[in-house]
Amino acid sequence: MNWGQLAITVVTVVSILGVLTLVLNMQYGHAGMINFGVVAYFAVGAYAYVLVTQAPPSEASLDQYVIGLGLPPWAGLIGAALAGLVFAAITGWPTLRLRGEYLALTTFAFAEVFHSFIVNEQRFANGTRGLVGVPRPYRETLDFVDYDIVLAIGALVFLIVVYVIFERIVKSPYGRALEALRDDELALITSGKRSRRFRMEIFLFTAPFAGMAGAFYVWYTTLVIPDLFTAEVTFIVWIALVLGGEGSNRGALIGITLVTLFEELVRAIPFSTIRAAQVAAELEVAALGLLLIIFLRWQPFAAWTKAPKRVARS
Amino acid sequence: MGETGDTMRVVQLLVFGLGTGAFLLIATLGFALIRRVEGFLNIAHVELMSLAAFVTWYFNSSLGWHFLIAATIAVAITALVALVIARVIYDPIKHLGAPILLISSVGVAFLLHGITAAVVGVGIRSFEIPRLDAWRIGGVLVTPYRMVLLVLAAATSVGLALFLNKTRTGKSIRAMAINRELAGSRGINVVRTSRATWLVSGVLAGLGGVALGVLGTLTTDIAFQQILVILAVAIVAGLGSLYGVIAAAFIVAFAMDLSLLALPGGYRPVIAFAIVIVVLLIRPQGFAGSREEVTA
Amino acid sequence: MAELLRIESVSKRFGGLQAVDQCSFSVNRGSLVGLIGPNGAGKSTLFNLVSGLHGPEAGSIRLESDELVGRAPHEIAGLGLARTFQTPRSFSTLSCLENLLASVPSRGEQITSAILGTYRAGERESIAAARQHLELVGLQGRADDRADELSGGELRMLEVARQLMRDPKILLLDEPTAGVTPTLQVRLTEALKQLHAGGLTVIVVEHNLGFLLNLVERVVVMVKGRVLTQGEPGSIRSDPEVINAYLGRRGGDAA
Repeated sequence: MNWGQLAITVVTVVSILGVLTLVLNMQYGHAGMINFGVVAYFAVGAYAYVLVTQAPPSEASLDQYVIGLGLPPWAGLIGAALAGLVFAAITGWPTLRLRGEYLALTTFAFAEVFHSFIVNEQRFANGTRGLVGVPRPYRETLDFVDYDIVLAIGALVFLIVVYVIFERIVKSPYGRALEALRDDELALITSGKRSRRFRMEIFLFTAPFAGMAGAFYVWYTTLVIPDLFTAEVTFIVWIALVLGGEGSNRGALIGITLVTLFEELVRAIPFSTIRAAQVAAELEVAALGLLLIIFLRWQPFAAWTKAPKRVARS
Repeated sequence: MGETGDTMRVVQLLVFGLGTGAFLLIATLGFALIRRVEGFLNIAHVELMSLAAFVTWYFNSSLGWHFLIAATIAVAITALVALVIARVIYDPIKHLGAPILLISSVGVAFLLHGITAAVVGVGIRSFEIPRLDAWRIGGVLVTPYRMVLLVLAAATSVGLALFLNKTRTGKSIRAMAINRELAGSRGINVVRTSRATWLVSGVLAGLGGVALGVLGTLTTDIAFQQILVILAVAIVAGLGSLYGVIAAAFIVAFAMDLSLLALPGGYRPVIAFAIVIVVLLIRPQGFAGSREEVTA
Repeated sequence: MAELLRIESVSKRFGGLQAVDQCSFSVNRGSLVGLIGPNGAGKSTLFNLVSGLHGPEAGSIRLESDELVGRAPHEIAGLGLARTFQTPRSFSTLSCLENLLASVPSRGEQITSAILGTYRAGERESIAAARQHLELVGLQGRADDRADELSGGELRMLEVARQLMRDPKILLLDEPTAGVTPTLQVRLTEALKQLHAGGLTVIVVEHNLGFLLNLVERVVVMVKGRVLTQGEPGSIRSDPEVINAYLGRRGGDAA
């Protein structure tokens, strides 16, 4: 088994999905919003990246897609961030006043609508066939090193930047207001603060990062197909969040690392038959579900209230 | 000629919609019951349906037993599994609130799906039931099994209504649905009634799973694809009575099937997703219930 | 204008119950007013109406020149109205100090400032002010303890401190002495008198008449959703109508 390759894969995947998990932690762990459509922000970013950076569609090619701006990768990255933001604004803004489970439903529904759209609308991005062969940035100039390592490091840097930004928010008066909101929304309101504004801001602020993670994902896979962006991604991230436990950004990263290690290790086992591999994959799904149940029971987010004494932030 | 053609198409789709509505009704009744009585959205409901479908397939196609016997066994097993899951997984965390239960039910769905898919494997399965040709009535194709489903849905609704109104357990369940604490203080055995509710929900999920297999071929993913449609029916129905679910099931079914007049078939489920979104935005309480129950 | 709060013909109905029935009274700037009445008289509902948690069917509530009816609760709080609840509310996972800090605006509640850290200077001042307020209510020793570790009486004092931290124009206290030890009651009385001397206007809902008489200049009596009578504490106490209203009711007053 190629441990080196495994390590590179794990670092890359953990970094990309880790950003999604951090986004989810901010949205749920700190702002109390159950987002069951996280994959959509990821997908929207990935597709936006491709549409911004691909050359304009030509008659000669068999691929159908609605637009190709042919811009450089950094523009694609910005496009991915913007796409995430716009999607969050359109889908989040009217629904944020819904109570927990129902917000979960609308976010889930929106994600499925987008998935259906990219599957059914051939003209948008080639439907189920998707678009392949997306070039990785600076591939040629960096020919002398293993690009996979470069990408892993790049993704890791991205993760660290996002982590630092989110942590600074959490440790600031903003984070304190979010905690107060979680503890007693009415008390916060009667102190003159608008709860909805905090929720909305967190939702909109974190969405672009999920979009950018989508761009990184395209660099990793060099393609976009609808099959990559199913509800399964959303729930893997959720399981990671719950496994990480404390409802903290650090916990989120621990969780996604554990889940990714688990997945990659199972994938790396050399099964003798296809059937065996399939059974293993399905049992892995079952195991993740079981872990979610167990961790939610013994370390539910309600366990935030059992955190040890802290001194005031300053 | 074009007009009669169009009318025929509408009628055809409506007839088709009756079958869809019947299926949705059976599938959603159990889900709505849990939502009303236990107070949360049990995403794992669809996986219970999947379980029932494949257990039926196992006894029916794999072992060669008669379909009705296989179906009965499957429904019974599903009801028991529902009860066990409730007692082992949901009850201990009930105090943590509906959102946590929702997330937990996703875990249960994963667990059930993984086990079922690992055992069943890939590929398409179908029940060993007599092949019935479609009837042609006045130029409209009517699929017999869909009509059977309509009968089953009607029977289930009547049976459930009788159960809820005429039996002591049923009345206890209704009391709990209205107000759990009040029911407890009036002497109703909340724990036992809760268990009965789960059994009933499990039976209904079982019937839904059998219906899935009757309607068409089975894959391990087929049930999960239904969750948003079932949610759509439940949301439209709101937290009111049985009748709301009946109406909602057919409204959603007709909306989905009539959409084929204007949209390609791939968008049919999107209608249900759109219904979820639109209803939650405009009238989150559905037919019945209060806005406060759904908004923050 | 001497009149700070004017409640005019306010009515609120809940289903079949007329909780507040054309209630009218006003409170002058800088006064300390008690609001009493038997259980179910509508006192807490009135507080909810004033603070914007419910909207009345009729009537007007003015704070200085601002009409409060129709405004959202956070807006009304922003206009200078502070209130406590019958069951004290606090941010259970935050420390007492953080509870107070979370109750006033902070530059750090803007995302950019939060990320860049430009809130720290202002934060230091707020912490100092918060410590002062904790001392006022006797909780300085509990500054770093989590709110969910406090006793019922301490929670009440915390809630008062939280609202005072906001430097409000008017403070509505809903049964502040319920569950509070006599020692803390004395401290609360002192704190309120101190603030009153500094110009704070207070309306206190209380069943504990002993506490009230020590504190307020005027008493408003509410029965069945409307004002029965108002006047000085001494005369109210011996008013036959008031005594009648309380007769035969449980959970009444301490004489």
